[in-house]
Amino acid sequence: MSGQSELDQITRAAAGDRAAQAALVNRNMPVVFRVAYRMLQDRAEAEDVTQETFLRAWKQLPDWQPKAKFSTWACTVALNLCRDRLRKKKPVLMDELPERVDTGLRPEESLASQQALQGIEAKIADLPDRQREALTLCALEGMTNIEAAATMDVSVRALESLLARARRALRAGLRAEMAGERW
Amino acid sequence: MVSEVTISTERVLELIAAYGAEPGAWPEDERTAATQLMTTAPDLFAAALEEARALDALLQTEQVPEPALQLSEAILAAAPKTKPERKGAFGGLIALIFPQGLRWPAGAALASLMMGLVGGYAYASTGAGYDQADLAYYAAFGMDGGEDWLGME
Repeated sequence: MSGQSELDQITRAAAGDRAAQAALVNRNMPVVFRVAYRMLQDRAEAEDVTQETFLRAWKQLPDWQPKAKFSTWACTVALNLCRDRLRKKKPVLMDELPERVDTGLRPEESLASQQALQGIEAKIADLPDRQREALTLCALEGMTNIEAAATMDVSVRALESLLARARRALRAGLRAEMAGERW
Repeated sequence: MVSEVTISTERVLELIAAYGAEPGAWPEDERTAATQLMTTAPDLFAAALEEARALDALLQTEQVPEPALQLSEAILAAAPKTKPERKGAFGGLIALIFPQGLRWPAGAALASLMMGLVGGYAYASTGAGYDQADLAYYAAFGMDGGEDWLGME
């Protein structure tokens, strides 16, 4: 959707146009929910965050400034809400823990790994929060590096570092699991 | 056509490490140069690409549950509402006659009232309006001008 048509839709939604509101929700709510779910690993909590994100959106719409796409803004709000919840749950900062050593996932092992391993979701869930955010936005939701960096409020270089570390950690985990270790 | 952006082998490997094997996921401004370099020296990137491709394929299998169906309804229920429309038996008729709403005719009536009051006050304040009007009336009917009836000298 172009910036102008999204702005038009937001203006109509702010004025109470139900069709515009429904379109805004239908297009953006699934992304917000998925991002929140990956961060919180809890469906009910992800739904709460999604609802809270849109409550804030409804308040924000009359004063909306088209500085960013609505989806980027909504994911930023959702991530902040998730961080607040995670902070309350988990006082230990996972990003400060040492990373696993990347032992590499050989190409010939990839098919076997897909057959043998149950669910990449658990491995993603075990990633440190910031790495999980980066992977979610870029690799899983297809945001551009600039959009994802803006959403996370980090530089593009920092985003790339988080992405590379996330992928390295996933490979290390898969490799360890294939070797029969508990990851 | 050769891309104007130059890129190093190390940078392409960084892109693969961060964004995976699919060039579509790479930063747009570096994509063309990176793919061109990969075409000219594929052996340099084959291992990194294969490894990244395996992880990309695994990430594609990731599943996320769907949100409850009521979530959309709950979100929309909290959305801003339009101002309530006038209801009742005459609501449709009023809307038909006054498509701009009742404020416009009410405003016009108020403006008319104010103009009448201001005009009348200004006219009366001249002090001559009353006499001249009555004289003109009586003259029109062939009377004596009404001075006696009006008690004027």
